[in-house]
Amino acid sequence: MRKIFLAAGLAGLVSLGAAGPAPAAEESIALPTQAWSFDGVFGTFDRAAAQRGFQVYHDICAKCHSLDLIAYRNLEELGFSAEQVKAIAAGDQVVDRDDRGMPVTDDSGKIVMRPGRPSDRFAQPDKAVTSALPAVPPDLSLVARAREDGENYVFALLAKGYDTPPADWDPSAIYNKYFPGHRIGMPPPLTDNAVTYADGTAATLDQEVRDVVNFLEWTADPNLEERHRTGLKVVLFLIAMTLVLYAAKRRVWSDVHKDEH
Amino acid sequence: MAETAQAKPMGAHGGGEGTRRDFLVLTASALGAVGTAAVAWPLIASMNPAADTLAAGAPIDVDISKVAPGMSIRVLWRSRPIFIVRRTPDELKQLESGKDNAELSDPDSKALQQADYAKNWHRSIKPEILVLVGICTHLGCIPSFAPQPGNTPVENWEGGFFCPCHGSKYDLSGRVFRGVPAPLNLPVPPYNFVSDTVIRIGENPKGSDFDLSSVEQL
Amino acid sequence: MAAPRTQNRIIRWIDYRLPVFSYLEHELHEYPTPRNLSYWWNFGSLAGFMLVTMIVTGIFLAMYYTPNVDMAFDSVERIRRDVNYGWLIQFIHMNGASFFFIVTYIHVFRGLYYGSYKNPRELLWILGVIILLLMMATAFMGYVLPWGQMSFWGATVITNLFSAIPKVGNAIVTWLWGGYAVGNPTLNRFYSLHYLLPFVIVAVVMLHVIALHQHGSNNPLGIDRKGPQDSIPFHPYYTIKDMFGLGVFLIAYAGFIFFLPNFLGDPQNYIPANPLVTPPEIVPEWYFLPFYAILRSVPDIWFIPSKLAGVICLFGSIGVLFILPWLDTSPVRSARFRPIYKWFFLVLVVDVVALGVCGAHRPEGTYIVIGRIATLYYFFHFLILLPLLGKMERPRPLPASIGAAVLKGGAVSAE
Repeated sequence: MRKIFLAAGLAGLVSLGAAGPAPAAEESIALPTQAWSFDGVFGTFDRAAAQRGFQVYHDICAKCHSLDLIAYRNLEELGFSAEQVKAIAAGDQVVDRDDRGMPVTDDSGKIVMRPGRPSDRFAQPDKAVTSALPAVPPDLSLVARAREDGENYVFALLAKGYDTPPADWDPSAIYNKYFPGHRIGMPPPLTDNAVTYADGTAATLDQEVRDVVNFLEWTADPNLEERHRTGLKVVLFLIAMTLVLYAAKRRVWSDVHKDEH
Repeated sequence: MAETAQAKPMGAHGGGEGTRRDFLVLTASALGAVGTAAVAWPLIASMNPAADTLAAGAPIDVDISKVAPGMSIRVLWRSRPIFIVRRTPDELKQLESGKDNAELSDPDSKALQQADYAKNWHRSIKPEILVLVGICTHLGCIPSFAPQPGNTPVENWEGGFFCPCHGSKYDLSGRVFRGVPAPLNLPVPPYNFVSDTVIRIGENPKGSDFDLSSVEQL
Repeated sequence: MAAPRTQNRIIRWIDYRLPVFSYLEHELHEYPTPRNLSYWWNFGSLAGFMLVTMIVTGIFLAMYYTPNVDMAFDSVERIRRDVNYGWLIQFIHMNGASFFFIVTYIHVFRGLYYGSYKNPRELLWILGVIILLLMMATAFMGYVLPWGQMSFWGATVITNLFSAIPKVGNAIVTWLWGGYAVGNPTLNRFYSLHYLLPFVIVAVVMLHVIALHQHGSNNPLGIDRKGPQDSIPFHPYYTIKDMFGLGVFLIAYAGFIFFLPNFLGDPQNYIPANPLVTPPEIVPEWYFLPFYAILRSVPDIWFIPSKLAGVICLFGSIGVLFILPWLDTSPVRSARFRPIYKWFFLVLVVDVVALGVCGAHRPEGTYIVIGRIATLYYFFHFLILLPLLGKMERPRPLPASIGAAVLKGGAVSAE
């Protein structure tokens, strides 16, 4: 009887899981799924792709999108050397802040900018550019986690979404197949050869999007690999310990159970 | 108590069954202890400085090209005030002569308040540039920079640093005078000349591994 | 209480002044526990384990969290990225809330099935319901702290519920908020209370265990212990069994922490709270979904507007649990001997799960219908079915004693 209870509960939970704790969108836009190196229990980052993706972000996306949660020093996790990180940081202008975190202003009240240091967070996009836009471009640090199936969503939106709109589409609005409501504020940001990769990889649109998704997955979840590594050790340890505990339990209970039917 | 069935106390059996049970329970306990330690470790480690705190404590580069002779600037490194002073030739002559050494507690910087490269009469790498941690070794106030001899801040002032809190006096190499509350010279942080006009605070010159936390007292 | 069975002078010295050791001796060694407890009895200790886990991880998180609307979200991300092992502590705490509710809900349903709420354990049960309420308050406030979109809007929706109360509703809501909307005062007070309530839970748990030990645990047969052959000492039998159960539980828990840390959560909470942008769907965490469904499924009833009716039914759904010991008229405790109740229990489980599914979806179409039927059944089950069924049902014959049912040769003593 209890087994039926268990089955009912599990069935309910599974259907709940399928529905997802996050509710279904207005209409289910079926996302094309890609295979990613970081998928699954043993997933890891493709560092080469993430480095290229950083280049895509830095050269193109950073014009409008901030990446507030990443500091230049974090780039060393992607395989950049300390010297490279210093150079990347120094190539950007960041707001000079005093030790309380307040922006430093010069005598005329204007905020002072200075070259970045590795300990700085990424530079903000130019306010002159972003304030002229019709909508505020969201920060991208967590976009791969802030959307359902984020990595596939970002890929689909950038690489496949700027499709031909349906016949009745208002031509003054930009259409994207995978953006909720389809009315996206951002025109297609990437094209073939929008960047020239430092490692010589052919910069097709698909490649650029793949790489930037790899990068954004890292920005959203930099601890993924450590989490998987530690998790494997922990679960194996727990399985071993539970087996020992089970054997101990059986032993301890043997004198009770031998009197029972 | 008559309530419970008599449980056989653990390990009271003879031979096989009891010792096998003991072994299992022992193994389980050992694994449990390992597990508990493995859980406790991240919790305790989390209290160590976080990555961004450590990064903020990294060495900083300071441009001293605009510091005129006789002037000093103050920067913060690891939340501590660092004085950088460009001493005039007259001031250096005065210090080198050792005229006032008798009035100093530790004129030869015997106490460990600086790296070896600062264990000299100018307590620095290059004589003109002095770098000090600006925290009075008495009770932690920040001394004022008073290079001009005269009658301020006290009578017959020869030039140096004066701590307003309890009147401790230091000379223009940060060496403490006798008869004041402060016991030790002002510490010298690790620093290095990256170029003639840029000092990196927090990094030693090649060949030295001086650690600021090794000083007697900050 | 027996003196400790030790010759150790230090232990005797301490125990004479502060009887911790003889207390433990009594509670563990001498305390009689039914010999036939199944694994459904592990969940109480698992809940206690989760309480300790949440408090410990919470204290370490509190060393880095900042309860200010401008800094809360970033402080949580800082914990995940910069604090040593911060990601681990944070994911343990986040998934811990879910697992705390999983074990507690199973613990509650165990009680419902085996009649653990019946005489003489009514107060034990009521203390448990109080713990459940405190857990829900703590979890609700805790979810607000990261200050994501769901944090903010969930807080807005749920605190707004109180405006349904006639006359004083709006004043209460303003008082809860500390302002004209959910904002910094709200966040700060939620943090203060979120830190406090777990310790209140600890106190109520202690009362809960004291009440338990007064008459001892129920058991799957639902019949009282009658003699020494019916029970065994808690230690070592149930200590080792609890530890084994803990091991199995930890494997599942670790699986989520390390491999599916965000599965039970809502992606939208990774977007910083924006008071000017309402998310397309506002959904609470899964453990609140059945209650959320009840809240939303109630229409206007007579002169009571649906909003107020929903709030009344929401609190009523927990209220019925408080009076359950008096609603159930069955002379028999365990559903093992209640052939009809058994089926209705299954229906209740399916009903609660169905409510949960409804709570996850927008209240449109089929979901409204299912939600209403499920809400009706929930109240019918407690308020009508249980009082009537107890009187009408013919229970199966009970065994003479636990020993008679379980031992070879019946009630003959194992010794």
